[in-house]
Amino acid sequence: MVIDMHVHPAFYGEICTPEKVKEHKKIGGYDLMGPFPKEETCIQMDHFGVDRLVLLPLDVSAHEGGHLVTNEEIRALMDLEPERFWGFASVDPDSPDALEVLDYAFKNLGLMGLKLNPSKQAFYPADPKMDAIYKKCIQYNKPILFHAGMSWEPGTLMKYSVPLNFEEVAVKYPQLRICLAHFGWPFAVDTAALCLKYPNVYTDTSAMYMDSPEKFMDYIFNQAWGPLWFQNNFAKQVMFGSNNPRFRTARVKRGLDSIEMRDDVREKLMGGNALRFLGMED
Amino acid sequence: MVEMTSFEIISRKEFDLVRITDRVREFAENSGVKNGLVYVITNHTTTGVFVNESLECLETDIENFLGDLIPTVKDYAHNHFLPSYGATGNNCPGHLKSLVVGNHSVIPIKDGKMFGGAAQEIYFAEFDGIQLRKVQIVVMGE
Repeated sequence: MVIDMHVHPAFYGEICTPEKVKEHKKIGGYDLMGPFPKEETCIQMDHFGVDRLVLLPLDVSAHEGGHLVTNEEIRALMDLEPERFWGFASVDPDSPDALEVLDYAFKNLGLMGLKLNPSKQAFYPADPKMDAIYKKCIQYNKPILFHAGMSWEPGTLMKYSVPLNFEEVAVKYPQLRICLAHFGWPFAVDTAALCLKYPNVYTDTSAMYMDSPEKFMDYIFNQAWGPLWFQNNFAKQVMFGSNNPRFRTARVKRGLDSIEMRDDVREKLMGGNALRFLGMED
Repeated sequence: MVEMTSFEIISRKEFDLVRITDRVREFAENSGVKNGLVYVITNHTTTGVFVNESLECLETDIENFLGDLIPTVKDYAHNHFLPSYGATGNNCPGHLKSLVVGNHSVIPIKDGKMFGGAAQEIYFAEFDGIQLRKVQIVVMGE
């Protein structure tokens, strides 16, 4: 099974009013992008051999007064295509009702994990105010996908999301599965070190900020990392993710397809590791 | 007089040739223009519109020709982050194929009928699929 772990459905036509499009562009820094029908996504998935998309919302209600897709919209999209779309929740840690929103998202909406962006939501991952949220995720056995490294979104500072900021969380909550998305780029070596040391730390491939898909993935897998680092050290901790619509699912997949690796490792990268991260496999 | 319309296509492949002659003919021949021209124009910069013979072998040759001329993987200057989109521009081959093919085709209208050659098929060409696309038809004449 091929699973894209990192998709922002900011322009899925079924949830996009003109006001929503404007809000999503402003929050996400997407500018010239525009809505498209779900049918387009389904045709892409079938043609490029992608079985599931994990859809991510982002709650910035306390900081920016809005959302880059709400938890309820994620649930609605999942219901439209239950065989294709899986979904996460998001809460703004500074919202007074963050814990109630998260509980509702897990218990009532059936969302599969939590998406947080420390840079956009302006918090340090090891801040004690986050403990209750982490404990709620452990209570429901749900993973957290953190933005890590540079974020293009406006109003984001990298200081909140450098990979080393997550080390205390990994140590304090070894039963909590956390993903430092985007390879933590440009701090990909730091991310590798955390994956090596902590089995509950994952990363995803949702970065393609420079060059062609082939060149960028070659840079990560063969230059920033040694050619065997991933295969021989943390093969169970890197997941295919695109950051669509910023980077197209098919293009990131094309870049990964160009990297030499063993077949069993590629299966883990493209879907097996996501199933374990999501708690669906041991 | 000038009559205009547009229609949408969701391409099915990254490189996709879609035959659109019947849609153009229907609009052109119901436009009320007896003698003039029909223009078929794409709204996009990584697509094209062209006329050729509708044979699968030729469609394969056209795809291979453009692919040989403009390889998918190359160090294009366009392979960089575009702040205006918030995305990396990795679709230079689509832009260059669009440049080669062109954005429109023109067919004469005579006595209220499209007056093209018997072998002529109008194609919408997708070079950066899979995407929702828009094509315009403009009929000018009297």
